[in-house]
Amino acid sequence: MRKIFILAKREYRTAVRTKSFIIGLVIAPVFFGGGLIAYFLLKDKVDTKDKIIAVLDRSGVIASALEEAANERNETYIFDSITEKKIKPAYIIKTVQPDLTDPNRQKLDLSRQVRDKNIHAFLEIGHDIIHPGDDPERSRIKYYSENSFVDDIKNWISWPVNNRIRQLRAVELNIDPQAVDDLLYWINIDGMGLISMDNKTGGLKDARESNPLESILIPYILMFLMFMMVMMAAVPLLSAVMEEKMERIAEVLLGSVTPFQFMMGKVLGGISVSLTGSSIYIIGGIITATQLGYEDVIPYNIIPWFLVYMVLNILMVGSVMAALGSACNDSKDAQSLQFPAMLPLILPMFFLLPVIKEPLGVLATSLSLIPPFTPLLMLVRQASPVSIPTWQPIAGLIGIVIFTVISVWAGGKIFRTGILMQGKKPKLSTLIKWAIKG
Amino acid sequence: MQQKQIMIVIIAEYYLNMNTIELQGISKSFEKHKAVDDLTLHVPKGSIYGFIGPNGSGKTTTIRMIMNILYPDSGSIKLFGTTYRGSRLDNIGYLPEERGLYKKMKVKELLSFHGQLKNGKNINNEIKYWLDKLDLQKWSNKKVETLSKGMSQKLQFIATIIDRPDLVILDEPFSGLDPVNADIIRSAVLELQENGTTVVFSTHDMNMAEKMCDFIFMIYKGKKVLDGTLSSIQDKYGNDTIKIQTEDGMSVLNNIEGIEKVTDFGRMQELKINENTDTQKILAAVMANTKVNKFEIAKPSLNDIFIRIAAPEKEEGNNA
Repeated sequence: MRKIFILAKREYRTAVRTKSFIIGLVIAPVFFGGGLIAYFLLKDKVDTKDKIIAVLDRSGVIASALEEAANERNETYIFDSITEKKIKPAYIIKTVQPDLTDPNRQKLDLSRQVRDKNIHAFLEIGHDIIHPGDDPERSRIKYYSENSFVDDIKNWISWPVNNRIRQLRAVELNIDPQAVDDLLYWINIDGMGLISMDNKTGGLKDARESNPLESILIPYILMFLMFMMVMMAAVPLLSAVMEEKMERIAEVLLGSVTPFQFMMGKVLGGISVSLTGSSIYIIGGIITATQLGYEDVIPYNIIPWFLVYMVLNILMVGSVMAALGSACNDSKDAQSLQFPAMLPLILPMFFLLPVIKEPLGVLATSLSLIPPFTPLLMLVRQASPVSIPTWQPIAGLIGIVIFTVISVWAGGKIFRTGILMQGKKPKLSTLIKWAIKG
Repeated sequence: MQQKQIMIVIIAEYYLNMNTIELQGISKSFEKHKAVDDLTLHVPKGSIYGFIGPNGSGKTTTIRMIMNILYPDSGSIKLFGTTYRGSRLDNIGYLPEERGLYKKMKVKELLSFHGQLKNGKNINNEIKYWLDKLDLQKWSNKKVETLSKGMSQKLQFIATIIDRPDLVILDEPFSGLDPVNADIIRSAVLELQENGTTVVFSTHDMNMAEKMCDFIFMIYKGKKVLDGTLSSIQDKYGNDTIKIQTEDGMSVLNNIEGIEKVTDFGRMQELKINENTDTQKILAAVMANTKVNKFEIAKPSLNDIFIRIAAPEKEEGNNA
């Protein structure tokens, strides 16, 4: 064990002293999580340039309601209540008289205006929208813009347009206009967390409003942090071992240490590097969340699980990577083996969204119990606001411990043979033979 | 009481005279190729034992088996009188034939790392001593990658012996070294021996083997073909060699009865004579044709013995 620690210490000191480690600590989270973080930070920093929407109202009864709604919005919604600074764009409705002789030509002209950025979009309201008839085309409302699928204005328009349509229908039915307002009053449902007992006061703790930070961001961050740490600590072992073999450093060391000690020294060095990296991120994350007033959402109960899963994951992946590296003779061999060896790490990433969405679903449960996927997917499930059955993380942990022991054992056997083998292409059949027979 | 003393003396004698390495009938095959075949060898404590043999004859495999890096298919290996399998002994230093060092580490740091791996004592003092002795002191804080090839080899040697092991195994320690550095390493090896270390080294430098080794072992096609002191090996071949220097060189040595083979070194020639040939008749035959400046009857050199064993196969191979 002493020799393993000496080797691990050397690996650790070599790794953390490099510029790439320090740069990696900064770059990696920006690379992996930057998009999401930027989205949350910048989601309110929208383009405040006014948006002109041309309205071709063939019904003749909606455009005015849209104008009224837009004016009301522009007066009350687009300025910060404290600073009075404009924080959102104004919507300017420009009513255009429909050209009955050549409607297609008119729509082409409006499209050109959108492309030339003179207007943001145009809306075409069908003739029969109050009383849809046999021809569905006459009762449609179409929103034309350069990217209407993700255009927020389209969603905003739906409300005043439908509101006016329902009002007009109610009037035709002789319903009191006052009653129409009550009839059309829409109430959103607020998503809340569960009520819990406050350990300090003994009283009840109010349920918090459910937010995307808790539901998505925390599982996402924890999963990516682990992915990043394994990528940083375990994956490079393949090329590192291959290089040490090719540079004949390995045989010099094998005079002092056994192949297993050599392999474990490297893996343990990787674990130390990842523990350093993750500690920096976790402590940094806790301080930042506390400063921003999000201390309630810090998942303290998940952090020990995170660390245990991460250590086991690096042991499992690292020993396999080191074993494969020992079988390689050049960088081509290493490249061809690296991708398949990384699959157990990459595959869970594809299931991230379905698992976050339904942490108790059959897919999430079964995938998270497959040992190579357990560290990432079980962690995501545990980090989600939903409570998962207690036995599942324990079963997952037992599975991954068994799988890690097998990986280290097989990796050690492959390593022992591979590290001295020169000029032999690493085939799967050969590796299996080495793992079984040694 | 007297019996007890005798027992102590016997036990002490046993340990003092114990062989450091005992190989008993070891064999090792790689798929169909038999690299080492039923090899038995005893390396006495405190000796310098030279391993010689052509490339691919089994030297490195034998050394790797002694080091426990490879396991023999059959036979047994004892180090310091005990069988170890799978473990590494801290009191053995090993310098493999193909060796590398961590290039980004500083010289002192690297030696300290190797010393710690061997659980060495007084590592800092040893580092200073050996860096001074091998003339590398001023490089102690430089990175390994800045060293020349010769300096790197000296550093590798120091890393091997930094903890003053009881047994040092050096695979081709002199290859690629200039004569000055080779001499420095040679003197360091002799110093280790004087302090009781057993040294095993493989080499292709027959002169170095002749000068340094107490015992020489030659392996050929996996089998032991020579084992003993230089003089005992030479005795087996007898005085069948004549070193001759004449006015007319090689041209006058052809077609003389009793000469089996002539090796031309330019200014002098080496003759291998047939068994029971009268050397005086050969001298007379040469003198009849030219003036003889030097005529020496000698035992064959180690180099010559090596070639006699290993060359026939190559010649056959060339003819094939």
